[in-house]
Amino acid sequence: MLVDEFKLPAARLVPEAKLEDLGVDSLNQIDLIFKLEDRFNLKIKDDARKLVTIQDVVGYIDELVAQQQTRSDQPGAPSA
Amino acid sequence: VAITGLGVISPIGNSIEALFSSLSAGKSGIRALPEPLSRSSQCSIGAVVDLPSRDDLPKMRLLDRVSQLTLVAASQAVADARIDFAAEDRDRCGVAVGTGMGGAKTTDEGYYTLYWERSDRIAPFTVIRAMTNAAGASLGLEYALCGPNLTYSTACSSSAVSLGEAAGKIRTGDVDVMLAGGSEAPLTAGVLRAWDAMRTLAQVDDNEPFASCRPFAATRSGLVLGEGAAFLVLESWEHALRRGASIHAELIGYGLTTDIEHITRPTVAGQAKAMRSALRSAGCAPDEIDYINAHGTATVQNDLVETLAIKEVFGEHAGGLPVSSTKSTHGHLLGAAGALEFTICVGCLERGWIPPTMHLNAPDPACDLDYVAEGARSVTSLRVAMSNSFAFGGTNAVLIARRYER
Repeated sequence: MLVDEFKLPAARLVPEAKLEDLGVDSLNQIDLIFKLEDRFNLKIKDDARKLVTIQDVVGYIDELVAQQQTRSDQPGAPSA
Repeated sequence: VAITGLGVISPIGNSIEALFSSLSAGKSGIRALPEPLSRSSQCSIGAVVDLPSRDDLPKMRLLDRVSQLTLVAASQAVADARIDFAAEDRDRCGVAVGTGMGGAKTTDEGYYTLYWERSDRIAPFTVIRAMTNAAGASLGLEYALCGPNLTYSTACSSSAVSLGEAAGKIRTGDVDVMLAGGSEAPLTAGVLRAWDAMRTLAQVDDNEPFASCRPFAATRSGLVLGEGAAFLVLESWEHALRRGASIHAELIGYGLTTDIEHITRPTVAGQAKAMRSALRSAGCAPDEIDYINAHGTATVQNDLVETLAIKEVFGEHAGGLPVSSTKSTHGHLLGAAGALEFTICVGCLERGWIPPTMHLNAPDPACDLDYVAEGARSVTSLRVAMSNSFAFGGTNAVLIARRYER
């Protein structure tokens, strides 16, 4: 997504790279979150923890996806 | 006020050179709109700019097409003026933009998401892309100009107003330099349909779609919407001389009046007053005007009223005064029209010729001025030119430029 939509060179996208250093400032992070929500069918709340590095984003999305998985695995949970 | 830089993105050329080459050949930029836009209104044509939107560039991601056109046109003007803003007092440099519809494409897309797709996924940049001052803001950021950053929205006279007001700021000494002009990107389904609903758009000439806009003709049937942007670098005369700038022409007159009778119907008195006011501010007698670039929208009302207003102001001089409407080829750029047409006036003063009113084969007997229908005309003595811009809402704005005598 950072390569396709934000036109960032893949070589710079290491886990510890900071979003701000990549030019993805707070305004662009709002757009990033919007696109992540669409891509992973998630709802990311406004009080989401501060996402500083690429690893932060990846970790957070993994967590949310896993939570969603668990919820839908539970018996009686409404199906999508 | 010195005019030291010109830049243009228009349906008949994306540079000053291309624009004037089209104007001299009478080449029209009016053509069939791409699908599916062509099906959004009865009027399937528009004056389209050959410049793809660049949402793929990081800098452009935040910008509606109206702001993208702004940045590209203004960059030409800045390069042409050879002004280095880093060497200027940035607090004394500002921006003035005229736009009628602002970020119309973004607004349209937002409504599409909300009402058609029945989704709440409105893109997060909708506000900053669509806000009417987005184009001006993008210029202020691009060149780091800390002086006034103003947006004027007076429909079809927006950018004539932005130029006139910018020149005023320079005259009073508030600023040294203004990057001023206008931009419009109205070719969206919603805007086209809305103008169509007003019954102001031209009937498409099926045989010659490019000739559908026929100002002052008996067969005129309305305007053709166009997109584009034109920007000028304006600076105080002393400032321009001090930095050794090359001067295109001088902005010497600006008149601004308002019609109060009706929201759309123009009045002879209001237009005449605006022209007289511009003449007064320029210190010009009517017979000193050598050329008028008319508002000339090709609506039944405008062209007749403007003709009568010109006769009232110029009296006997009107008979020998060339008047042309370049909208016949570049269409109606709404909020960008005034800046584009004033830019055309400036370029004509430098080149010594007048662009024609095209497609005027069947003149309206009531429109009986010299509309330069035969093609571009060489006028080597061309010294002072007037540009008319009249608007829905009644804002009449008139600008006057004088050739720079080197």
